[in-house]
Amino acid sequence: MIAQTLDIVTTAAILYAVATGLLLVFGVMKIINFAHGGLMTLGGYAALVTTQAGLNPWLAIPIAALFGGVTGMAIERFVVRPLYSRPLDAILATWGLSIIIGQLITLAFGRGVQFTQSPLSGTIDILGEGYSAYRLALVGIAALLGLALTALLQGTRLGLETRAVIMNEDLARGLGINSGLVRFLTFTLGSALAGIAGALITPLSSVDPAMGVPWLVNAFMLVLVSGASLVSLLFACLVLGGAQVLVATHFSPVLGGLTIAVLAAIILRLRPQGFARD
Amino acid sequence: MTEARRLSLILAVALLALAAIFAGPYVLDTYSVNVLTRSLLYAAVALTVDLLWGFLGILTFGQSVFFACGAYAAGLVFTHLDFSTGNAVLALALGVGGALLVAAIVGWLAFWHGASALYASVITLVLPIVATQLLYSGGTFTGSSSGLSGFMSFDLSMEAWFWLAGGFLVLVTTAAYIFVKSDAGKLLVAVRENEQRCKYLGLDTSRLKILVYLACAAIGAIAGYIYAGYAMVVAPELAGFVFGTELVIWTALGGRGTLLGPVFGALIVDYESAQLAGDYPFVWQLIIGVLFVLVIVAFPRGLLPVLFDLPRRLVGLLRPRRAAPAASVRLSTLDAAETQGVEPGEGPALSVAGVAKRFGSLTVLEAIDFEARAGELVSLVGPNGAGKTTLMRCIADGAERSAGSIAVNGYDIGRKPPEACVALGVGRKFQMANVFETLTVAQCLQIARVRHARPSLWRRAEVLPLPEAAMHVIATTGLDKQLSTPAHLLSHGMKQALELAMVLALEPRVLLLDEPTAGLTKTERMQIGAILIELTKKQGLCVLLVEHDLDFVREISSRVIVLHQGHIVLDGSVEEVVASELVKQVYAGSGHAGIDHETAPAPKEMPA
Amino acid sequence: MSRLSLLMAGVFAAGLLTGPALAADTITIGIPVGLSGANSVVAPSVVQSAELAVEEINAKGGILGKKVVLEVADDASGAAGAQKAFDSLIFQKKVDVLISMETSAARNAGLPIVNRGKVPYIYTSFYEGRSCSPYMYVNAWVPDQQVAPIVDFFNKEGAKTYFLIGSDYAFGRGMLAFTKAYIEKTGGKVVGDEYAPMDATDWTAILSKVKAANPDAIITSTAGGAPNVTLTKQLRAAGIKSLYGNLAVDEGTAKAMGPDAEGIYIAGSYFTNIDTPANKAFLAAMEKKFGKDLKTPNDLSVPEYEAVYAYKAAVEKAGTTDAAKVIPALAEVAVEGPRGTIVMNKQRHAPLTMYLGQVKADGSVGIISSFKDVDPGEQCPKLK
Repeated sequence: MIAQTLDIVTTAAILYAVATGLLLVFGVMKIINFAHGGLMTLGGYAALVTTQAGLNPWLAIPIAALFGGVTGMAIERFVVRPLYSRPLDAILATWGLSIIIGQLITLAFGRGVQFTQSPLSGTIDILGEGYSAYRLALVGIAALLGLALTALLQGTRLGLETRAVIMNEDLARGLGINSGLVRFLTFTLGSALAGIAGALITPLSSVDPAMGVPWLVNAFMLVLVSGASLVSLLFACLVLGGAQVLVATHFSPVLGGLTIAVLAAIILRLRPQGFARD
Repeated sequence: MTEARRLSLILAVALLALAAIFAGPYVLDTYSVNVLTRSLLYAAVALTVDLLWGFLGILTFGQSVFFACGAYAAGLVFTHLDFSTGNAVLALALGVGGALLVAAIVGWLAFWHGASALYASVITLVLPIVATQLLYSGGTFTGSSSGLSGFMSFDLSMEAWFWLAGGFLVLVTTAAYIFVKSDAGKLLVAVRENEQRCKYLGLDTSRLKILVYLACAAIGAIAGYIYAGYAMVVAPELAGFVFGTELVIWTALGGRGTLLGPVFGALIVDYESAQLAGDYPFVWQLIIGVLFVLVIVAFPRGLLPVLFDLPRRLVGLLRPRRAAPAASVRLSTLDAAETQGVEPGEGPALSVAGVAKRFGSLTVLEAIDFEARAGELVSLVGPNGAGKTTLMRCIADGAERSAGSIAVNGYDIGRKPPEACVALGVGRKFQMANVFETLTVAQCLQIARVRHARPSLWRRAEVLPLPEAAMHVIATTGLDKQLSTPAHLLSHGMKQALELAMVLALEPRVLLLDEPTAGLTKTERMQIGAILIELTKKQGLCVLLVEHDLDFVREISSRVIVLHQGHIVLDGSVEEVVASELVKQVYAGSGHAGIDHETAPAPKEMPA
Repeated sequence: MSRLSLLMAGVFAAGLLTGPALAADTITIGIPVGLSGANSVVAPSVVQSAELAVEEINAKGGILGKKVVLEVADDASGAAGAQKAFDSLIFQKKVDVLISMETSAARNAGLPIVNRGKVPYIYTSFYEGRSCSPYMYVNAWVPDQQVAPIVDFFNKEGAKTYFLIGSDYAFGRGMLAFTKAYIEKTGGKVVGDEYAPMDATDWTAILSKVKAANPDAIITSTAGGAPNVTLTKQLRAAGIKSLYGNLAVDEGTAKAMGPDAEGIYIAGSYFTNIDTPANKAFLAAMEKKFGKDLKTPNDLSVPEYEAVYAYKAAVEKAGTTDAAKVIPALAEVAVEGPRGTIVMNKQRHAPLTMYLGQVKADGSVGIISSFKDVDPGEQCPKLK
């Protein structure tokens, strides 16, 4: 029982960390960033470079953010910006970008599986249950990420402008908000978050050119179900991530792997706004 | 060009293509025949992606699943039941049936009233992921990751398979080409361009999407069936997301919405990848990725149109541009005996009782009660934010209102969607001119008539009969001289007139007009006014008009309803309204607080 | 449209003219292999093995005096790519034989084309067993040969309860079904067997079940590469200390996993640490030929090397490259290679010497024991 609760909480935390960047971009730009998986892979390789250079594994997180953010800037400027009025094309273009990122990484690092050093290893006893220390640490990191983003959105001028653009872009522009700049900064931040997510999952995952892809669809579905709210994303991660753990444990892991996608599709069919409030 | 000539030209080109297919095995080496046989089948699936995405606007990542349906039906039946003629028929039936079933489920999920394009795309994205996983967990039944092989199949030569695959591709391409160029095919573009307008023209767009989706699923399944018979192997990757996106990439590179672009895109990229991928596996994918992003960003129409435009532009430099082509359609006035509009029912044409509309805690309309008879022209006036447009929306779409009931021609609209309200006799003209921008005037009008006159799936009508009222608008405004002009080239006033004509082509009993004269010149406004008066007097329509221009209202209305902050504050004749102190207050004080009806209930100034 | 057709015809014609001119005094070996896709990690080592074999054979005068050339084609590790690769090799490059390590899906997709082209095909990858074709031979292991060493060893170590974890695909299911039957036959008890999707990266739920069951030993058979790595990492992070046998890990992947791989038991027909003169000579020759570009030879690449020699022996025995004569000869010739002496005489499969090893801290595999000429069992009873 304790183990299962911990499984649910840590799974939700990982999903939350993976999906926040996507959520931010979706909220502001109303496009789904297919390159998110590619940017996560980039983050994973940033972590690889960091540990290979002999640096502290925790440093991988800011370095991955830098990698992701800079790439995100370039993507926003040259690919996404011309496609603002064509959201479905933006999906396709970012999908093409994820192919490009994957192939460039393959050419640079090879197709093989790489090893990164984990910042934390071993287990911690919680109520008599030995549990992976790194997974527990992820809960804290995801919470920090969520709080930092909330503070950014609620407490700063940029956050205020971002929220205005999310609610009504035309009105926001009418009020003198430079929505182009908000979009640019949001995409950069979203990409940096993707990089961070990539670095965060390296101790659990393998580092290979396709490492980000399996996370992509689940992250999409969580974002679509959550609308544009960090709070409902947390809720969605707990509910759907929890459902995934329960189905995988009690029925079969194969069904578990499909749980988030299928449940989210049905939820959206029955309640188009998903977990978001009206 | 006459209709017969147009069709025979298409058939002649199809015959040429068939001849090329027939010659294929004699001029190509064995290797190319083998590779192209599969490419031809992939091209048929790419064609369905183009129909859905290029024409209907549904970006689909899951067409691979239908291909796999047909392929796996053959693989499973031939593996587990052995190959025989009877089983071959059974397998084809199972494959197409399975694909139709899956498509129906996806259609139910993705194309319901109100589903967004993004949601539909995401559903088609989940589909191949689920399908692949099911195939993997099928154990020895589906062969899991290894797929099924070693089954017997039709004993055909390599050439025969090539002809079969090529013949199938030419057949579906020709059929699809004739279809998209037909009157019915224009509907697909109309739905892509402006789904909302389609619904308010009484078209069940969800049903249309599902029908096209089902047809595409069947084509994909047959292609998959031929594939399995030829390749004698089926594998889960046939159903996969990667194949699904490859189809989209081929379509995008070739040129969406061109049919031939995706077909050649699939043939060339797949054939060339067989050549180049072996030598440069990663670089090849990188090149495809870069090309894909480039095309999406810079040449969204794909490479085929670019290829075709280049010589055309060069010729254009030398030769002056030809005048606009002559209209392909003649208009005629529909015989009054053939009009199909809803008969005027018993009682009032429109009855609104206790209607309210709330957004969360915000109340936009409250306790709206009124009736309007046939032959009445009722104007809705009131300051901005009074709820006029919201009220129009509630009448035209049963799902909109939060409370109350609305009856049109004596029929309760219930929770019916817009297309069902149109069937009851509602016609709605939007505030901003809402037409199909890329279609011509004639095509826009044709689509407005689809509800009454089922369009041909393969021909283009040469005559378009329109009801007298619509003809009247067209003739008065001079639209009849611009029938082959694309709607986006029309002036603002002409667009308004076109939309009005389209709505009138529906033969409505209750006409909802949201500021039909906004932004029009004085003359245009006079014309519209005269038309409206005639419609009510002669045709007995019930018109509900939202209008800001009080002079205009005074000239044409038979009755005026004043809305303020979601309530009806006055319902009376033009004279009563003009004389009313309250209305002056409402308009004068629309920016101020403290109008007395906010604290007191609305004054009962309504005449019986 | 007709203008475009002409253009297309031009494009295709240009493609068709690129076929190579074939000289009659060469023997061409086709290698369809997963240069991209799931097998791309191991594919370069396979190609290197074949290159060494061909270089050695040509240095000694080729086969029947003819020079041997290689044609490598990418099968993208899947069915669609394999069809293109097989078509290209058989009908365009007109190879005399196909020798390759591939995924089961790619092999299955290629077999109908092999049947059409009527060329001999030596499959050099271990797989789930029971794939049969009149044109195909297999010189790598099947579950019947590989499972016994690990389970016997765990039984001897006192393991009573087993937990089996696999990827949900043909190899994973095939291996573990056989393992389960074998464990139960030898008196052990399987307390759980779980399969995750082939691309799974999250093993949380399964590992929680493992912890709850607390088995003496775990045996896994996942898809190669990423799933293997993620499972091992998460298993170690969860603090599971049971005996850990991995049926799908090769030395290269074990090295990439770093310290997490230490202590894993693996069985196979080849490890670099095999202490025979033939293996030492092979490794030295590889080292010499490829230097710092050398991909570590492994259980998937060494059979490729031996299969080239098997084909050479069969052609020399038949005195011709005619497929009808070479195919029966392949069952009779013996090849002395890094893995020992191998004859593909058991229903198109080969009895193999199997080794049990354990991954050491530096990622190399220490050999614990060996089992001579383990029989592949009933694989293709209809073919002899």
